[in-house]
Amino acid sequence: MMNDILLALQAVATFENFLIMAAGIWGGVVIGAIPGMTGTMAVTLALPFTFYMQPVPSILLLVALYKGSTYGGSVSAILIKTPGTASAACTALDGYPLAQQGKAGKALNMALYSSVIGDFISNLSLIFLAAPLAILALRVGPPEYFMLMVFALTAVAGVSGNSLLLGLVSACMGLLLATVGEDMYGSFRFAMTNDMQAGLAVAPVLIGLFALPELIKLIVFRNPPKTEPMKLGDNRVSGREFRASLKSILRGSGIGVILGAIPGVGPASAAFFSYGEAQRSSKNAANFGKGELEGIAASESANNGACGATMIPLLALGVPGDVITGVMLGAFMIQGLTPGPLLFQTNIHEIYMLFIGMMISSVLLFGAGKVTMRMFSYVAEIPPTLLTSVVLLLCLFGIYSIANSMFDVTVLLALGVVGFGMFLLDIPAAPFLIAFILGPMIEENMRRALAISRGDASVFLSSPITWIFAALILFVIAVTFRREVAKARHRKADRA
Amino acid sequence: MWSGILRGVLVSVLFGIVLFVLIPVHVPRPAFIPGFAPPPDMWPRTVSIAGIVLGLIVAAMAWAGPVARPVPDPEKQPAGAVGLPVLVGRFALVVLAFALFVVLVPLIGFVLAAILLTATAILLTGERRRLVWGAIVAVALPVALALFFNSALGTQFPKGPFSAFLGF
Amino acid sequence: MKRILTGVATAAALVAGAAQAQAQDYPDQAITLVVPYGPGGASDLAGRALAETARDYIGQPITVLNKPGAGGMTGAGFVSDADPDGYTLLLARVGMALTPAVNPQSTVDWDAYTFLGELEASPMILAVKADAPYDNAEDLVAAIKENEGTMTYAASGATAIDGFTVQALLSDSGMDPLTAATLVPYKGGGELATALLGGHVDFLAISAGSLMPHIKSGDMKPLMVFAPKRMDDLPDVPTADELGYEQAGQITGWSALYGPKGLPEDVTAKWDEVLAKVAEDETWLTLAERRGSISTVGERDMAEYAKQQYDLFHALAKKFGYIQ
Repeated sequence: MMNDILLALQAVATFENFLIMAAGIWGGVVIGAIPGMTGTMAVTLALPFTFYMQPVPSILLLVALYKGSTYGGSVSAILIKTPGTASAACTALDGYPLAQQGKAGKALNMALYSSVIGDFISNLSLIFLAAPLAILALRVGPPEYFMLMVFALTAVAGVSGNSLLLGLVSACMGLLLATVGEDMYGSFRFAMTNDMQAGLAVAPVLIGLFALPELIKLIVFRNPPKTEPMKLGDNRVSGREFRASLKSILRGSGIGVILGAIPGVGPASAAFFSYGEAQRSSKNAANFGKGELEGIAASESANNGACGATMIPLLALGVPGDVITGVMLGAFMIQGLTPGPLLFQTNIHEIYMLFIGMMISSVLLFGAGKVTMRMFSYVAEIPPTLLTSVVLLLCLFGIYSIANSMFDVTVLLALGVVGFGMFLLDIPAAPFLIAFILGPMIEENMRRALAISRGDASVFLSSPITWIFAALILFVIAVTFRREVAKARHRKADRA
Repeated sequence: MWSGILRGVLVSVLFGIVLFVLIPVHVPRPAFIPGFAPPPDMWPRTVSIAGIVLGLIVAAMAWAGPVARPVPDPEKQPAGAVGLPVLVGRFALVVLAFALFVVLVPLIGFVLAAILLTATAILLTGERRRLVWGAIVAVALPVALALFFNSALGTQFPKGPFSAFLGF
Repeated sequence: MKRILTGVATAAALVAGAAQAQAQDYPDQAITLVVPYGPGGASDLAGRALAETARDYIGQPITVLNKPGAGGMTGAGFVSDADPDGYTLLLARVGMALTPAVNPQSTVDWDAYTFLGELEASPMILAVKADAPYDNAEDLVAAIKENEGTMTYAASGATAIDGFTVQALLSDSGMDPLTAATLVPYKGGGELATALLGGHVDFLAISAGSLMPHIKSGDMKPLMVFAPKRMDDLPDVPTADELGYEQAGQITGWSALYGPKGLPEDVTAKWDEVLAKVAEDETWLTLAERRGSISTVGERDMAEYAKQQYDLFHALAKKFGYIQ
């Protein structure tokens, strides 16, 4: 076996492969950092090139793009409050306030360290725990999936800011908007025009809700957010700060790995889950949403932790968990390799090469992150009046080119107006987005579970996994309720 | 207090419209779904009802007394002393500009419409000093983006009557 | 700069022109091939394989654009509404004939296109988990009858092609296609396959591309193939037709190349020529085999076949009770 690994190492460690991975990672980071361009776009764009490449480098290129874009989303989340990908939405909650305090460099570095550690742990679990995690993932049927996603939705409590009630209102709006389009049985809901039959895509909703209200705010109030100039000493993450966040990073990575291994969950849900969890258990809970490094650590370690782990069901079972791994499955098949248990017997050499390549790409991610950070730090120099328009343009062109769809652009602009209205009413945007992404998974799995059980609701408490999540959900509700009561008392005391 | 009540009522009314007006018309129930499986309107109905209840709670709590001392949000303070009509007017202009963009794209092409929208947005933000930079952002960037997306992704942006000799 | 570009373009055109007997105007710019489903699936792979193969013969790049939604109708509508200039084409799937046949709400009719040609047949497989106690389709059908509607199958939707495979089988066996087994809707081949692998549903009949890996690894048992003839990879698995299932025997998956209605003569002529070359292209044939399809380029008159498919599904939909 040692011999096999050495042979694989030799095969991977060529200049050409390094170049492919570095280009993939860096390209991914830049694409992820630009609002309106997504990791899915990067991966689909690269697919035709892989037709002409060797099997392993082609997969490594796609993986590199995926990882890079997942990290890249945090750069724009921190610098301009516009998450480049949905999985960085929670990063914006703490990253942007930090940037305003002149600590953008610190936030970017924390995001990078957490991403790289999450990525590394994810790779290790892919290599050593793929088989048990894959078996666990297969046991997650509709009832388990439903309970898991409901639990993830409790993260809404953590991102609601001052008022839990308004956070819940926001979540209901997101859940409702997500039902537009084709129903799982084939009929249509709220399809008032033909375009609406396809439903609303995540990217225009995300960008519309986060990026455009900034422009409208600037136009209406002409009061640009005060951003302190970056302070030199505040660019680095100190050892103490890192240690304080280490628990969140490790827990976030673990959450990312486990959720990533379940087909269909993906980095965004993992990041929401982890952020909610960190916010509940942190000593600095009150500082979350106001510029807490631990929040960035929790969100970023989980989304990159999920990236490598989405390869677990793909490699070990041959089932793609999301669109990106779906494209990878396509790339494998085009190369004449069939992912699944057999691959580990017939193509162990390629598997080892892939594993080694993924470890190397973690290191490359670190380098690419550092370079990109420097490139994008000049963004802070652009006056807000011009920057918001640049972002608007990037969004318009990026969103249009996802599906050549003017409908998507209309959704983008409409959601910008909705987002501004929500801002006026103090309704937070993050719960809306979380609910919009989790909602379909919750609803579909609930309906699947009830179809399988023929309407018997006890199916939601039919296995140990569902018991665990039911207990967790009750626990979170109790904790949140206690905290709200304490907050109300505190305010009363304040007023008296 | 009144703004809190208004907010709660507004939320309830929005969800009420969805529940009583939109769902009955726009969420058909296919006959072939078996009786024990939840139909397509079950989830939207549940969420709308939850939304109505939440809105009413928000209003009731505002009625019971201000939950928090009203902290003026610095982000909602206009720079300079301008009245509410000006703020509403500016907001209306943004919505109008967005709507015009969507209407104009099929008529004059995507790139030209984007140039107009960006120029309007920059002027609306009150920028008057950096007009050269503004012009560069408004004109050069859309053209560059169109060329980039066209070459990298092969995106064909909607063309207008001027596209023939402008190339976009 | 512009002069250089024009020069390059002219040179490229000359080279391309020399390869063909006569020089034509079409195409003088990139062609967009719309795939009406998400990236990574069987239709996406077919579209990208066609784009990669045909570009050498047509002399212009072909850009693949995914426009998923509404059972493929969003992308189909985009193409049928596009200018009939030959620069927007559609990778059509069986859904383009099925959806208008079964869903009155459908926005694009089966014949709202110019039919450029058939591309491939993609068989569907009826499969159960490897440890299931059924070894052939008859066993499974008997079990479905015995369990009186409690057995479950996964499909993309009631009126999707992979729902119709099962429903046709149930109907052929003298059962009510809508109630004899419970449909559990999932989205996409990956989710469907996972549902069966995890034992969350009892059986399914979906496209071969999503199932072959699991059949090869021994995790799933193939019971029957929905295709005109047996698959090369599964020589021992009978087709629905062989087993005497009359309606199920007519159902199979396919891809074709469509354009907007009213494509000019020179465009259709050009594509006839290109598709004839694609049919014998080594890359195209290898890629088709790897995704579990059989290349059928140029074997049938597509307009006729699409009509026949539409009629078949329309009759089935009436019989099953989806439409009056």
